[in-house]
Amino acid sequence: MIFNTYVLFPSHSDGLALEKKLKEKSMKYTISPTPRNLSKCCGISIMIDPKILEDVKSIIEENKDIKISGIHTIERKTRNWFKEEDKYV
Amino acid sequence: MADYKELWKSLDIDLEKHDELCEVLPEFYGDIYMTQKNRPEGMNYYNFVVSEIHGFRIKELNEFRGKGGKVFGGFCVFVPDEVTLAAGGVGIGLCGGSDFWVPDGEKVLPRNMCPLIKASVGAKIGGTCPYFQSADMLVGETTCDGKKKAWEILGEYTPIHVMDLPQMKREKDIENFKDEINIFREKVESITGNKVTAENLKENIKLVNKKRKVLQRLYNARKVQNLPISGKDALLISQIAFYDDIERFIEKTNELCDELEARIEKNISVFDEDTPRILITGTPMAIPNWKMHHLIETSGGAVVCEETCTGTKYFERFVDEDNDDLDSQLKALSERYMGINCACFSPNEGRIKDIIRLYKEYNADGVVYNSLPFCHTYAVEYKKVKDALDKEGIPVMMIESDYSMQDAGQIKTRLEAFFEMLNMNKELAL
Repeated sequence: MIFNTYVLFPSHSDGLALEKKLKEKSMKYTISPTPRNLSKCCGISIMIDPKILEDVKSIIEENKDIKISGIHTIERKTRNWFKEEDKYV
Repeated sequence: MADYKELWKSLDIDLEKHDELCEVLPEFYGDIYMTQKNRPEGMNYYNFVVSEIHGFRIKELNEFRGKGGKVFGGFCVFVPDEVTLAAGGVGIGLCGGSDFWVPDGEKVLPRNMCPLIKASVGAKIGGTCPYFQSADMLVGETTCDGKKKAWEILGEYTPIHVMDLPQMKREKDIENFKDEINIFREKVESITGNKVTAENLKENIKLVNKKRKVLQRLYNARKVQNLPISGKDALLISQIAFYDDIERFIEKTNELCDELEARIEKNISVFDEDTPRILITGTPMAIPNWKMHHLIETSGGAVVCEETCTGTKYFERFVDEDNDDLDSQLKALSERYMGINCACFSPNEGRIKDIIRLYKEYNADGVVYNSLPFCHTYAVEYKKVKDALDKEGIPVMMIESDYSMQDAGQIKTRLEAFFEMLNMNKELAL
């Protein structure tokens, strides 16, 4: 099983602010659409390897101006979209 | 995450239906795009744009409109953005790449027509595309019969201006399209209340050329043996070019190109060596239509170039920047746009030359001719293209497919056989 950690934000500008910090520290991250089961509002989150979660947490601690609205670690699941049973998109 | 519901409500979006789209898009994008290995870090910007596709950019457009700015929604590479920008307007590409919108389109259109048109019309009449809802005016063109008649229906919902694109490329046709651009200029001026002058048009000709240059730079990175970026990612960037803020897009794409060029120096590739290199030619791919690229790149191939409207047709060749009067500028615009080798022209020998040239430039091993169903111009033109490619000894296969998933297995089987043949060709050549 592969797990990913998502950091969620109240607005995209907080997400971009954290991105800047992660980039400065050369930490590996991916900007990602927020998984639907974590939040119903379309928008960005930052996906990281759960292994670096503590480091990322301390960056968030250090930068009080960056607001987050949750950190979640979930199993990565993929499905084969190009099969008959899938209707949309 | 940011709540855009109020914004969508103000744009008259069908929130409930739109929510169905929001439900699938993150997972769909995640599975198609984020599962790729070793993606360039610069792709984070485009991840951001897609993640915020109905949020951030819509908010930006909404703020622009709040200050009196006007947004023009287009469907085609023949609409000259230079003119829109010169009048202080913003041009955006509109939705039409998903099966999600097709049922709504079929409420007012015949079923047996191109899915791009059905989806575009469906996106508007279903009220599920915030880009359509943000457009003060739609700009259509006469590139095919289906679209031509669809404008009449869309016109019932939003003001629409239709540009009459000539169907031949004689001197008088280039002159006619120049007139059409001039009529469009008058229209844009009347909507925005701003004049298009030789000065601001010159400035914006340069700006749009700059966007073309960065896209060419991106595509140049795909000509090398070790591909630093997947075809799927390159397609996404081309698609985003149609509606992103132009200055930001140029800046971010140049940053990505720096990274790609560094990867080339270090021989970093996202594909195994000897992966068959595919040139795609055919109909446009609107967001989120990533089907053909996904199938090719999960069946053992790599897409190295798109000879499509969401590819080279969009950015190749520049508008002459050295004109200082409006008349010469309009002429230069007409010459550049009429140089696009769309299948709506008869004859269209230029496209065949383009395909052969691009095949060589991008060191492709084979061509996939991709056409949406019921696109007569592209489907009929296959015969001429195939004959010419056969003569050159260039392998080609035709795949006609819509946005649905049903034929994916069948297409994969055909692609795998095609790639096996291309690999065999390579071995025999050695």
